[in-house]
Amino acid sequence: MAETRLPRGAQVHLGTLDGDLRADRDVRITSDGTVTVTGSVRFDGPAEVVGSLVCTRFRSADGTVLIQGNLTVREDVEAHDGVLDIAGAIKAQRVDVDRRLRIGGVAEAEKFDVGGVLEGEQSMKARSVSVGGRFHLAGKLEAENVEAGGAVTLAEVSIDTLEVGGTVRLGGGEVRRSIEVGGRFRSDRPISFGSMEVGGLAEFEETAKGGAIEVGGLLSAAKDLGFDSLEIGGVGRIGGNATGNRAKIGGKFDVRGSLTLAQGLGVGGAISVREVLTAERLELGGSLETRRAILSDLCEVGGNVTTQEGLKAARIRLQRKSRARGPLVGQTIEIERSAHVDDLFGGEITLEERAEARRIFGARVRLRDGASADEILYTDSVEVDARARVRSPPRKVDTLPPFPL
Amino acid sequence: MLEDREGSRAAPRRREATDLYATVLEVVKRYHGAARITRVSYGAGMPVDRLRNFVDRLVALGLLKSEEIDGRPAYDITPRGQEFLATYWKMRAYIEVLESSPEDRGSRRRG
Repeated sequence: MAETRLPRGAQVHLGTLDGDLRADRDVRITSDGTVTVTGSVRFDGPAEVVGSLVCTRFRSADGTVLIQGNLTVREDVEAHDGVLDIAGAIKAQRVDVDRRLRIGGVAEAEKFDVGGVLEGEQSMKARSVSVGGRFHLAGKLEAENVEAGGAVTLAEVSIDTLEVGGTVRLGGGEVRRSIEVGGRFRSDRPISFGSMEVGGLAEFEETAKGGAIEVGGLLSAAKDLGFDSLEIGGVGRIGGNATGNRAKIGGKFDVRGSLTLAQGLGVGGAISVREVLTAERLELGGSLETRRAILSDLCEVGGNVTTQEGLKAARIRLQRKSRARGPLVGQTIEIERSAHVDDLFGGEITLEERAEARRIFGARVRLRDGASADEILYTDSVEVDARARVRSPPRKVDTLPPFPL
Repeated sequence: MLEDREGSRAAPRRREATDLYATVLEVVKRYHGAARITRVSYGAGMPVDRLRNFVDRLVALGLLKSEEIDGRPAYDITPRGQEFLATYWKMRAYIEVLESSPEDRGSRRRG
């Protein structure tokens, strides 16, 4: 195939060219709109094409190549140790740029592989996008796999996987399989995803829905959050409702709406749920503050419990020196040593040594030595140890007053 | 390149040496064992000569490993390097939470 060579600094006007084109440094090519080369194009340094360029293969090396129109390549684009700046759209099979790729128009390729920075002003469609450094796209991204080493800013996504070393800011959209981010993730609009793993911070400014969510540091959701499992190493803050299967929070968990879980909740520190907490189990190292808590199985609390309407669980265990404000309702209630509670409603209620309750309404009630209560109403049995105190004598009744909750 | 300013609410933050080490590790990680020094330099936004010092240090600390591919060194992150990154990002998150707490803002104002 014939090769046309352009010397260093050449300025030529081209239309259609049969064969290959090879240009030395600092070449400027003008056209009536589009330069069409039937073979490959190679720029050995900085160059400018005033108009669009169509060719079979595109190579450039060492410098910035500026295409003032569209770049349409039937096969591959390679820019070694250089920058490719396209004012219009790009279409190719595979695009491999070492330093920086800027695209003003729509971008479409099987694969984009950029060592440094990838910037797109409009939408992008690809099977995979891999960027060593920064990736910014103002339009919608449709792809299977997207990965980047540094910061990623995307307007809207419809992708399978997203793997980023540094920080991610998404407009919103859908990540069908997984999101893995080393540092910080932020979504400004509603987002759905398969699973998410973030090393540092995850922030959702709008509603978010996903499968397994794992965040090393902090998770903050301004609105509703839905998940299968939620695991946060540090602090979790949900501005709306949180709904899922199970959650495990290392530090503090704050939910402004309701928290509804089909299975268990474990919190190392404190939890605050402004509305209703519903789960199968709650294991809490610190304190609980909520309007109402309903647990279908176990509730075990190491710190203080404050409810407006009460806490109900099949089994309640309040650990030593805990405090409970608001009624506790359970089949089995164990108040451990030196814990202080308000009213208790249940089947089997035990106050361990030096535990204190206000009123107790239960089928079977037991107060260990040093425990005390103001009032006890029971239906089956009561056992008060010698050094336990009850302000008024326990009363046996046929039926207990209706339990709250 | 990792952002110097992370999010609109955070104050601008100068990149420290630890941030640069993390940046290099994250970029190397993207190449799945075939990271060339030049490609890493583009991704990390760092000149090759300066990057070499960082990479040598990371190799010496066992956070990166080097292997010859086609007669040229290629780098890969080690499990120790992965561990460093996990700890680094978690710590950055905690620092950000602590530094954005009301108590801290109050003490800054008082200061």
